[in-house]
Amino acid sequence: MAMSTTFLSGPAEQLRARVVGIAHGRRGRGAAGGAGIAWSGDLFVTSAHVVTGSHATIVTPAGRALPGEVVRRDAERDIAVVRAPGANVPAVVTGDPYGLRSGSLVFAVGHPFGVRDAVTVGVLQAVSPLPRGYGLNGKGSLVWIQADVRLAPGNSGGPLADAQGRVIGVAAMVVSGVALAVPAPDVERVLAGLT
Amino acid sequence: MSDDPTTLATLSEQLADAVATAGAALVAVHARPRLPSTGVHWKDGVVVTTEATVRRDGGTDLAVLRIASGSLPVARLGDPATLRPGHLVLALARLDEGGPRAAFGAVSATGGKWRCWKGGEIDRWLQSDLDIYPGFGGGPLVDATGRIHGVNSGGLSRALATTIPVATVNRVMTQLLERGYVARGWIGTAMQPVQLDPATKQRLKRAGGLLLLSVEPDAPASRAGLLVGDVVVAIDGTSVDGFDQLLDVLGGDVVGKKLRLEVVRAGQLVSIDVVIDERPRRGR
Repeated sequence: MAMSTTFLSGPAEQLRARVVGIAHGRRGRGAAGGAGIAWSGDLFVTSAHVVTGSHATIVTPAGRALPGEVVRRDAERDIAVVRAPGANVPAVVTGDPYGLRSGSLVFAVGHPFGVRDAVTVGVLQAVSPLPRGYGLNGKGSLVWIQADVRLAPGNSGGPLADAQGRVIGVAAMVVSGVALAVPAPDVERVLAGLT
Repeated sequence: MSDDPTTLATLSEQLADAVATAGAALVAVHARPRLPSTGVHWKDGVVVTTEATVRRDGGTDLAVLRIASGSLPVARLGDPATLRPGHLVLALARLDEGGPRAAFGAVSATGGKWRCWKGGEIDRWLQSDLDIYPGFGGGPLVDATGRIHGVNSGGLSRALATTIPVATVNRVMTQLLERGYVARGWIGTAMQPVQLDPATKQRLKRAGGLLLLSVEPDAPASRAGLLVGDVVVAIDGTSVDGFDQLLDVLGGDVVGKKLRLEVVRAGQLVSIDVVIDERPRRGR
Protein backbone atom coordinates (compact mmCIF):
# COMPACT_ATOMS: atom_id res chain seq x y z
CA MET A 1 0.00 0.00 0.00
CA ALA A 2 1.33 3.43 -0.92
CA MET A 3 1.26 5.46 2.28
CA SER A 4 2.85 8.84 1.70
CA THR A 5 4.37 10.87 4.48
CA THR A 6 1.36 13.14 4.93
CA PHE A 7 -0.76 10.45 6.64
CA LEU A 8 -3.71 12.16 8.41
CA SER A 9 -2.72 15.76 7.70
CA GLY A 10 -5.59 16.36 5.25
CA PRO A 11 -8.45 15.26 7.52
CA ALA A 12 -6.64 16.83 10.49
CA GLU A 13 -6.40 20.19 8.75
CA GLN A 14 -10.12 20.08 7.94
CA LEU A 15 -11.04 19.22 11.51
CA ARG A 16 -8.69 21.70 13.18
CA ALA A 17 -10.51 24.52 11.35
CA ARG A 18 -13.70 23.41 13.16
CA VAL A 19 -12.40 23.14 16.72
CA VAL A 20 -12.52 26.05 19.18
CA GLY A 21 -11.03 26.75 22.57
CA ILE A 22 -13.51 27.08 25.42
CA ALA A 23 -13.13 28.68 28.83
CA HIS A 24 -15.89 29.12 31.36
CA GLY A 25 -17.19 32.56 32.32
CA ARG A 26 -17.67 35.75 30.33
CA ARG A 27 -13.97 36.55 30.29
CA GLY A 28 -12.29 33.25 29.70
CA ARG A 29 -8.64 32.69 30.36
CA GLY A 30 -7.69 31.92 26.78
CA ALA A 31 -8.28 28.37 25.67
CA ALA A 32 -6.94 26.74 28.80
CA GLY A 33 -10.26 25.21 29.85
CA GLY A 34 -10.91 22.78 27.09
CA ALA A 35 -11.99 22.34 23.50
CA GLY A 36 -15.27 22.73 21.66
CA ILE A 37 -16.67 21.48 18.38
CA ALA A 38 -18.53 23.63 15.83
CA TRP A 39 -21.55 21.34 15.57
CA SER A 40 -24.07 23.35 13.55
CA GLY A 41 -24.89 27.01 13.05
CA ASP A 42 -24.00 28.95 16.19
CA LEU A 43 -23.93 25.83 18.38
CA PHE A 44 -20.73 24.45 19.88
CA VAL A 45 -20.49 21.16 21.72
CA THR A 46 -18.09 20.64 24.60
CA SER A 47 -17.82 18.65 27.84
CA ALA A 48 -20.10 19.67 30.71
CA HIS A 49 -17.07 19.73 33.02
CA VAL A 50 -15.42 22.40 30.83
CA VAL A 51 -18.24 24.93 31.26
CA THR A 52 -19.55 24.95 34.80
CA GLY A 53 -21.65 28.16 34.72
CA SER A 54 -24.17 29.63 32.30
CA HIS A 55 -21.63 31.63 30.30
CA ALA A 56 -18.55 30.61 28.34
CA THR A 57 -15.95 32.20 26.13
CA ILE A 58 -15.06 30.56 22.86
CA VAL A 59 -11.84 31.19 20.94
CA THR A 60 -12.14 30.59 17.20
CA PRO A 61 -9.40 28.97 15.09
CA ALA A 62 -8.63 32.53 13.90
CA GLY A 63 -7.93 33.50 17.53
CA ARG A 64 -11.05 35.62 18.06
CA ALA A 65 -12.64 35.44 21.54
CA LEU A 66 -16.45 35.55 21.64
CA PRO A 67 -19.01 35.37 24.44
CA GLY A 68 -21.24 32.31 24.51
CA GLU A 69 -24.25 31.13 26.45
CA VAL A 70 -24.57 27.61 27.81
CA VAL A 71 -27.93 26.48 26.41
CA ARG A 72 -27.85 22.77 27.33
CA ARG A 73 -26.03 20.88 29.99
CA ASP A 74 -26.13 17.13 30.69
CA ALA A 75 -23.78 16.49 33.61
CA GLU A 76 -24.46 12.73 33.60
CA ARG A 77 -23.47 12.39 29.93
CA ASP A 78 -20.84 15.14 30.38
CA ILE A 79 -22.00 17.17 27.39
CA ALA A 80 -22.76 20.90 27.20
CA VAL A 81 -23.93 23.04 24.29
CA VAL A 82 -22.79 26.66 23.92
CA ARG A 83 -24.45 29.17 21.59
CA ALA A 84 -22.03 31.80 20.26
CA PRO A 85 -23.66 33.96 17.58
CA GLY A 86 -21.34 35.38 14.96
CA ALA A 87 -18.50 32.93 15.55
CA ASN A 88 -18.58 31.97 11.89
CA VAL A 89 -16.78 28.62 12.29
CA PRO A 90 -17.65 25.93 9.71
CA ALA A 91 -19.46 22.92 11.20
CA VAL A 92 -17.98 19.44 11.44
CA VAL A 93 -19.29 16.38 9.63
CA THR A 94 -20.35 13.68 12.05
CA GLY A 95 -19.85 9.93 11.70
CA ASP A 96 -21.31 6.82 13.28
CA PRO A 97 -19.04 5.26 15.91
CA TYR A 98 -21.12 2.06 15.85
CA GLY A 99 -20.16 1.65 12.18
CA LEU A 100 -16.44 1.37 13.07
CA ARG A 101 -14.67 -1.83 14.03
CA SER A 102 -12.03 -2.29 16.72
CA GLY A 103 -8.65 -1.35 15.27
CA SER A 104 -10.01 1.39 12.99
CA LEU A 105 -7.86 4.52 12.86
CA VAL A 106 -9.10 7.43 14.96
CA PHE A 107 -7.64 10.80 15.86
CA ALA A 108 -8.35 13.53 18.37
CA VAL A 109 -7.96 17.31 18.15
CA GLY A 110 -7.72 19.37 21.32
CA HIS A 111 -5.56 21.66 23.38
CA PRO A 112 -3.63 19.30 25.67
CA PHE A 113 -1.90 21.41 28.33
CA GLY A 114 -2.79 24.50 26.31
CA VAL A 115 -1.17 23.42 23.03
CA ARG A 116 -3.66 24.68 20.42
CA ASP A 117 -5.30 22.18 18.09
CA ALA A 118 -2.91 19.31 18.79
CA VAL A 119 -3.54 16.09 16.83
CA THR A 120 -3.11 12.67 18.44
CA VAL A 121 -3.72 9.40 16.61
CA GLY A 122 -4.56 5.84 17.56
CA VAL A 123 -7.14 3.11 17.08
CA LEU A 124 -10.64 2.34 18.30
CA GLN A 125 -10.89 -0.24 21.09
CA ALA A 126 -14.61 -0.54 21.65
CA VAL A 127 -17.92 1.32 21.74
CA SER A 128 -19.53 -0.17 24.82
CA PRO A 129 -19.83 0.07 28.59
CA LEU A 130 -16.40 -0.14 30.27
CA PRO A 131 -14.90 -3.56 31.00
CA ARG A 132 -15.07 -4.89 34.52
CA GLY A 133 -12.31 -3.43 36.66
CA TYR A 134 -12.10 -0.10 34.81
CA GLY A 135 -13.59 2.02 37.60
CA LEU A 136 -15.55 5.16 36.79
CA ASN A 137 -17.72 6.02 39.81
CA GLY A 138 -20.77 4.26 38.46
CA LYS A 139 -20.58 5.90 35.03
CA GLY A 140 -18.86 2.83 33.59
CA SER A 141 -22.22 1.39 32.60
CA LEU A 142 -22.82 4.24 30.11
CA VAL A 143 -21.71 3.53 26.56
CA TRP A 144 -18.30 5.09 25.86
CA ILE A 145 -16.11 5.18 22.81
CA GLN A 146 -12.87 3.65 24.11
CA ALA A 147 -9.75 4.37 22.12
CA ASP A 148 -6.00 3.87 22.21
CA VAL A 149 -5.25 7.55 21.65
CA ARG A 150 -3.41 10.01 23.86
CA LEU A 151 -5.60 12.60 25.60
CA ALA A 152 -4.56 15.13 28.25
CA PRO A 153 -6.20 17.99 30.16
CA GLY A 154 -7.29 20.43 27.44
CA ASN A 155 -8.60 17.70 25.13
CA SER A 156 -11.93 17.65 27.00
CA GLY A 157 -14.80 18.67 24.74
CA GLY A 158 -12.75 18.21 21.56
CA PRO A 159 -13.54 15.78 18.76
CA LEU A 160 -12.56 12.17 18.25
CA ALA A 161 -12.77 11.47 14.52
CA ASP A 162 -12.44 8.57 12.10
CA ALA A 163 -9.82 8.34 9.32
CA GLN A 164 -11.98 10.57 7.10
CA GLY A 165 -12.21 13.26 9.78
CA ARG A 166 -15.86 12.59 10.60
CA VAL A 167 -16.54 13.31 14.27
CA ILE A 168 -17.64 10.13 16.04
CA GLY A 169 -17.46 11.40 19.61
CA VAL A 170 -16.55 14.08 22.14
CA ALA A 171 -13.37 13.49 24.16
CA ALA A 172 -14.30 13.28 27.84
CA MET A 173 -11.63 11.70 30.00
CA VAL A 174 -8.98 9.03 30.47
CA VAL A 175 -9.65 5.93 32.58
CA SER A 176 -6.93 3.32 33.19
CA GLY A 177 -4.99 4.99 30.38
CA VAL A 178 -7.82 4.48 27.88
CA ALA A 179 -9.28 7.54 26.14
CA LEU A 180 -13.06 7.85 26.58
CA ALA A 181 -15.38 9.82 24.31
CA VAL A 182 -19.14 10.36 24.28
CA PRO A 183 -20.64 8.74 21.15
CA ALA A 184 -21.95 11.27 18.57
CA PRO A 185 -25.53 9.85 18.66
CA ASP A 186 -25.67 10.61 22.42
CA VAL A 187 -24.51 14.17 21.65
CA GLU A 188 -27.33 14.51 19.11
CA ARG A 189 -29.80 13.47 21.82
CA VAL A 190 -28.54 16.26 24.10
CA LEU A 191 -28.92 18.70 21.18
CA ALA A 192 -32.45 17.54 20.33
CA GLY A 193 -34.78 20.47 19.64
CA LEU A 194 -32.04 23.09 19.48
CA THR A 195 -31.57 24.98 16.25
CA MET B 1 -1.19 17.95 -0.07
CA SER B 2 -2.30 14.88 1.79
CA ASP B 3 -3.07 11.23 1.25
CA ASP B 4 -5.95 10.20 -0.87
CA PRO B 5 -8.71 9.64 1.69
CA THR B 6 -9.35 6.18 0.25
CA THR B 7 -5.77 5.20 1.21
CA LEU B 8 -6.39 6.13 4.83
CA ALA B 9 -9.74 4.37 4.76
CA THR B 10 -7.99 1.30 3.36
CA LEU B 11 -5.38 1.36 6.10
CA SER B 12 -8.10 1.76 8.71
CA GLU B 13 -10.04 -1.19 7.25
CA GLN B 14 -6.87 -3.28 7.07
CA LEU B 15 -6.16 -2.66 10.76
CA ALA B 16 -9.75 -3.55 11.67
CA ASP B 17 -9.45 -6.74 9.59
CA ALA B 18 -6.24 -7.66 11.43
CA VAL B 19 -7.99 -7.13 14.77
CA ALA B 20 -10.98 -9.22 13.69
CA THR B 21 -8.80 -12.06 12.35
CA ALA B 22 -6.45 -12.34 15.33
CA GLY B 23 -9.18 -11.40 17.79
CA ALA B 24 -11.20 -14.49 16.86
CA ALA B 25 -8.60 -16.64 18.66
CA LEU B 26 -8.73 -14.66 21.92
CA VAL B 27 -10.52 -15.40 25.18
CA ALA B 28 -11.04 -13.39 28.36
CA VAL B 29 -9.41 -15.18 31.30
CA HIS B 30 -11.13 -14.56 34.62
CA ALA B 31 -8.43 -15.68 37.03
CA ARG B 32 -8.60 -12.66 39.31
CA PRO B 33 -11.73 -11.33 40.92
CA ARG B 34 -12.00 -7.97 39.19
CA LEU B 35 -10.04 -7.43 36.03
CA PRO B 36 -9.77 -10.24 33.48
CA SER B 37 -6.66 -10.81 31.40
CA THR B 38 -6.41 -12.01 27.82
CA GLY B 39 -5.62 -15.48 26.55
CA VAL B 40 -4.62 -16.68 23.07
CA HIS B 41 -6.03 -19.96 21.71
CA TRP B 42 -2.53 -21.06 20.72
CA LYS B 43 -3.26 -24.60 19.60
CA ASP B 44 -6.45 -26.60 19.62
CA GLY B 45 -7.73 -26.81 23.17
CA VAL B 46 -4.82 -24.87 24.71
CA VAL B 47 -4.92 -21.22 25.74
CA VAL B 48 -1.73 -19.31 26.58
CA THR B 49 -1.95 -16.34 28.91
CA THR B 50 0.09 -14.58 31.61
CA GLU B 51 -0.14 -14.34 35.36
CA ALA B 52 -2.90 -16.90 35.70
CA THR B 53 -2.82 -19.12 38.76
CA VAL B 54 -2.43 -22.61 37.30
CA ARG B 55 0.26 -24.30 35.17
CA ARG B 56 2.35 -21.18 35.27
CA ASP B 57 6.02 -20.58 34.60
CA GLY B 58 7.43 -17.95 36.97
CA GLY B 59 10.45 -17.45 34.73
CA THR B 60 8.49 -16.05 31.78
CA ASP B 61 5.11 -15.32 33.42
CA LEU B 62 3.40 -17.55 30.86
CA ALA B 63 0.55 -19.85 31.86
CA VAL B 64 -1.54 -22.41 29.97
CA LEU B 65 -5.19 -23.32 30.34
CA ARG B 66 -7.21 -26.03 28.65
CA ILE B 67 -10.47 -25.29 26.88
CA ALA B 68 -12.88 -27.45 24.89
CA SER B 69 -11.36 -28.62 21.62
CA GLY B 70 -12.75 -26.95 18.49
CA SER B 71 -14.50 -24.22 20.44
CA LEU B 72 -12.85 -21.28 18.63
CA PRO B 73 -10.34 -20.56 15.84
CA VAL B 74 -6.67 -21.24 16.54
CA ALA B 75 -4.12 -18.41 16.38
CA ARG B 76 -2.44 -17.82 12.99
CA LEU B 77 1.19 -17.49 13.98
CA GLY B 78 3.77 -15.27 12.31
CA ASP B 79 7.56 -15.28 12.32
CA PRO B 80 8.84 -12.65 14.77
CA ALA B 81 12.19 -12.60 12.93
CA THR B 82 10.45 -10.75 10.08
CA LEU B 83 9.49 -7.83 12.34
CA ARG B 84 11.82 -4.84 12.18
CA PRO B 85 11.82 -1.58 14.14
CA GLY B 86 9.19 0.72 12.66
CA HIS B 87 6.82 -2.05 11.56
CA LEU B 88 3.21 -1.31 12.39
CA VAL B 89 1.89 -3.63 15.11
CA LEU B 90 -1.17 -4.00 17.33
CA ALA B 91 -1.65 -5.29 20.86
CA LEU B 92 -4.94 -7.11 21.26
CA ALA B 93 -7.10 -8.00 24.22
CA ARG B 94 -10.43 -9.57 25.00
CA LEU B 95 -11.89 -8.49 28.33
CA ASP B 96 -15.58 -9.25 27.95
CA GLU B 97 -18.17 -10.40 25.44
CA GLY B 98 -17.82 -7.10 23.56
CA GLY B 99 -15.23 -8.20 21.02
CA PRO B 100 -11.46 -7.75 20.74
CA ARG B 101 -9.77 -4.51 21.77
CA ALA B 102 -6.71 -3.02 20.14
CA ALA B 103 -3.82 -0.68 20.79
CA PHE B 104 -1.53 0.31 17.94
CA GLY B 105 2.03 1.43 17.50
CA ALA B 106 5.34 0.37 16.06
CA VAL B 107 8.05 -2.16 16.76
CA SER B 108 10.70 -0.26 18.74
CA ALA B 109 13.59 -2.69 19.05
CA THR B 110 14.49 -6.24 18.13
CA GLY B 111 17.42 -8.46 18.91
CA GLY B 112 18.62 -11.87 19.91
CA LYS B 113 18.17 -14.09 22.90
CA TRP B 114 17.95 -12.49 26.35
CA ARG B 115 17.14 -13.36 29.93
CA CYS B 116 14.39 -11.42 31.70
CA TRP B 117 14.65 -10.37 35.32
CA LYS B 118 12.37 -13.21 36.37
CA GLY B 119 14.99 -15.65 35.09
CA GLY B 120 13.27 -16.94 31.98
CA GLU B 121 15.16 -17.29 28.74
CA ILE B 122 13.46 -15.41 25.89
CA ASP B 123 14.44 -16.44 22.37
CA ARG B 124 14.16 -12.99 20.85
CA TRP B 125 14.17 -9.37 22.01
CA LEU B 126 10.96 -7.78 20.76
CA GLN B 127 9.82 -4.45 22.11
CA SER B 128 7.23 -1.99 20.87
CA ASP B 129 5.75 1.36 21.86
CA LEU B 130 2.30 -0.16 22.43
CA ASP B 131 0.36 0.70 25.57
CA ILE B 132 -0.37 -2.49 27.50
CA TYR B 133 -3.64 -1.40 29.13
CA PRO B 134 -5.13 -3.22 32.11
CA GLY B 135 -6.21 -6.65 30.88
CA PHE B 136 -4.00 -6.54 27.77
CA GLY B 137 -1.38 -8.73 29.48
CA GLY B 138 -1.42 -12.20 27.90
CA GLY B 139 -2.78 -10.78 24.66
CA PRO B 140 -0.98 -11.13 21.34
CA LEU B 141 1.32 -8.86 19.36
CA VAL B 142 -0.24 -8.78 15.90
CA ASP B 143 1.09 -7.47 12.58
CA ALA B 144 -0.97 -5.56 10.00
CA THR B 145 -2.09 -8.83 8.39
CA GLY B 146 -3.44 -10.29 11.63
CA ARG B 147 -0.59 -12.75 12.27
CA ILE B 148 0.31 -13.33 15.91
CA HIS B 149 4.01 -12.93 16.73
CA GLY B 150 3.98 -13.52 20.46
CA VAL B 151 2.37 -12.80 23.80
CA ASN B 152 2.62 -9.36 25.41
CA SER B 153 3.69 -9.17 29.00
CA GLY B 154 3.01 -6.25 31.25
CA GLY B 155 5.43 -7.53 33.88
CA LEU B 156 8.78 -8.05 32.17
CA SER B 157 9.84 -4.45 31.54
CA ARG B 158 8.46 -1.00 32.13
CA ALA B 159 9.28 1.63 29.52
CA LEU B 160 8.37 -0.41 26.46
CA ALA B 161 5.96 -3.28 25.89
CA THR B 162 7.78 -6.61 25.82
CA THR B 163 6.59 -9.49 23.70
CA ILE B 164 7.44 -13.13 24.37
CA PRO B 165 8.03 -14.45 20.85
CA VAL B 166 6.36 -17.48 19.26
CA ALA B 167 9.36 -19.82 19.75
CA THR B 168 9.52 -19.13 23.51
CA VAL B 169 5.76 -19.51 23.90
CA ASN B 170 5.91 -22.86 22.08
CA ARG B 171 8.77 -24.11 24.25
CA VAL B 172 7.26 -23.02 27.57
CA MET B 173 3.78 -24.20 26.59
CA THR B 174 5.08 -27.67 25.71
CA GLN B 175 6.85 -28.03 29.06
CA LEU B 176 3.89 -26.70 31.03
CA LEU B 177 1.60 -29.19 29.30
CA GLU B 178 3.98 -32.13 29.71
CA ARG B 179 5.03 -31.70 33.33
CA GLY B 180 3.25 -28.62 34.66
CA TYR B 181 6.38 -26.50 35.00
CA VAL B 182 9.52 -25.49 33.11
CA ALA B 183 12.61 -27.43 34.19
CA ARG B 184 15.78 -25.36 34.44
CA GLY B 185 19.34 -26.56 34.82
CA TRP B 186 21.06 -26.36 38.22
CA ILE B 187 24.44 -27.25 39.69
CA GLY B 188 23.95 -25.91 43.24
CA THR B 189 26.58 -23.20 43.75
CA ALA B 190 26.81 -19.51 44.56
CA MET B 191 29.46 -17.70 42.55
CA GLN B 192 31.09 -14.33 42.04
CA PRO B 193 33.04 -13.11 38.98
CA VAL B 194 36.70 -12.47 39.85
CA GLN B 195 40.01 -11.60 38.21
CA LEU B 196 42.90 -13.98 38.86
CA ASP B 197 45.99 -12.55 40.57
CA PRO B 198 48.63 -11.32 38.06
CA ALA B 199 51.08 -14.16 38.63
CA THR B 200 48.47 -16.90 38.14
CA LYS B 201 47.05 -15.00 35.17
CA GLN B 202 50.50 -14.96 33.57
CA ARG B 203 51.28 -18.60 34.35
CA LEU B 204 47.92 -20.17 33.33
CA LYS B 205 47.05 -17.73 30.51
CA ARG B 206 43.61 -17.20 32.02
CA ALA B 207 42.15 -13.75 32.92
CA GLY B 208 39.42 -14.55 35.42
CA GLY B 209 36.36 -16.62 36.10
CA LEU B 210 33.69 -17.44 38.65
CA LEU B 211 34.74 -17.89 42.28
CA LEU B 212 32.72 -20.46 44.24
CA LEU B 213 31.35 -18.83 47.40
CA SER B 214 29.25 -21.76 48.52
CA VAL B 215 28.41 -25.27 47.40
CA GLU B 216 25.06 -26.76 48.38
CA PRO B 217 25.11 -30.24 49.92
CA ASP B 218 23.73 -33.06 47.79
CA ALA B 219 23.95 -30.97 44.63
CA PRO B 220 25.71 -31.66 41.31
CA ALA B 221 28.64 -29.39 42.23
CA SER B 222 29.26 -31.07 45.58
CA ARG B 223 28.87 -34.55 44.09
CA ALA B 224 31.49 -33.63 41.47
CA GLY B 225 33.89 -32.49 44.19
CA LEU B 226 33.84 -28.74 43.59
CA LEU B 227 35.04 -26.75 46.62
CA VAL B 228 34.49 -23.26 47.97
CA GLY B 229 37.39 -21.14 46.66
CA ASP B 230 37.60 -22.88 43.29
CA VAL B 231 37.55 -20.48 40.32
CA VAL B 232 35.76 -21.78 37.24
CA VAL B 233 37.67 -20.37 34.25
CA ALA B 234 36.14 -22.37 31.38
CA ILE B 235 33.03 -24.40 30.61
CA ASP B 236 33.24 -27.03 27.87
CA GLY B 237 36.38 -25.36 26.54
CA THR B 238 34.94 -21.82 26.45
CA SER B 239 36.45 -19.15 28.73
CA VAL B 240 34.15 -17.75 31.40
CA ASP B 241 34.24 -14.18 32.67
CA GLY B 242 30.71 -13.68 33.98
CA PHE B 243 27.40 -15.34 34.75
CA ASP B 244 26.00 -15.20 31.23
CA GLN B 245 28.05 -18.11 29.90
CA LEU B 246 27.04 -20.27 32.85
CA LEU B 247 23.35 -19.32 32.62
CA ASP B 248 23.42 -20.04 28.91
CA VAL B 249 24.59 -23.61 29.42
CA LEU B 250 21.99 -24.13 32.17
CA GLY B 251 19.09 -22.93 29.98
CA GLY B 252 17.00 -25.11 27.69
CA ASP B 253 16.70 -28.88 27.79
CA VAL B 254 19.93 -29.65 29.66
CA VAL B 255 19.01 -31.79 32.67
CA GLY B 256 21.32 -34.84 32.71
CA LYS B 257 23.89 -33.23 30.44
CA LYS B 258 27.55 -33.26 31.50
CA LEU B 259 29.59 -30.04 31.75
CA ARG B 260 33.39 -30.08 31.73
CA LEU B 261 34.58 -27.30 34.03
CA GLU B 262 38.13 -26.00 34.02
CA VAL B 263 38.90 -24.87 37.56
CA VAL B 264 41.79 -23.02 39.18
CA ARG B 265 42.43 -24.67 42.56
CA ALA B 266 45.46 -23.87 44.69
CA GLY B 267 47.11 -22.26 41.68
CA GLN B 268 46.70 -25.29 39.45
CA LEU B 269 44.27 -25.99 36.61
CA VAL B 270 42.07 -29.02 37.21
CA SER B 271 39.28 -30.43 35.09
CA ILE B 272 36.02 -31.46 36.76
CA ASP B 273 32.87 -32.95 35.19
CA VAL B 274 29.49 -31.91 36.59
CA VAL B 275 26.17 -33.51 35.63
CA ILE B 276 23.41 -30.89 35.42
CA ASP B 277 20.40 -31.56 37.60
CA GLU B 278 16.98 -29.95 37.67
CA ARG B 279 16.68 -26.81 39.75
CA PRO B 280 14.67 -27.66 42.88
CA ARG B 281 11.30 -25.93 42.83
CA ARG B 282 10.53 -23.82 45.86
CA GLY B 283 7.06 -23.47 47.30
CA ARG B 284 5.79 -26.34 45.26
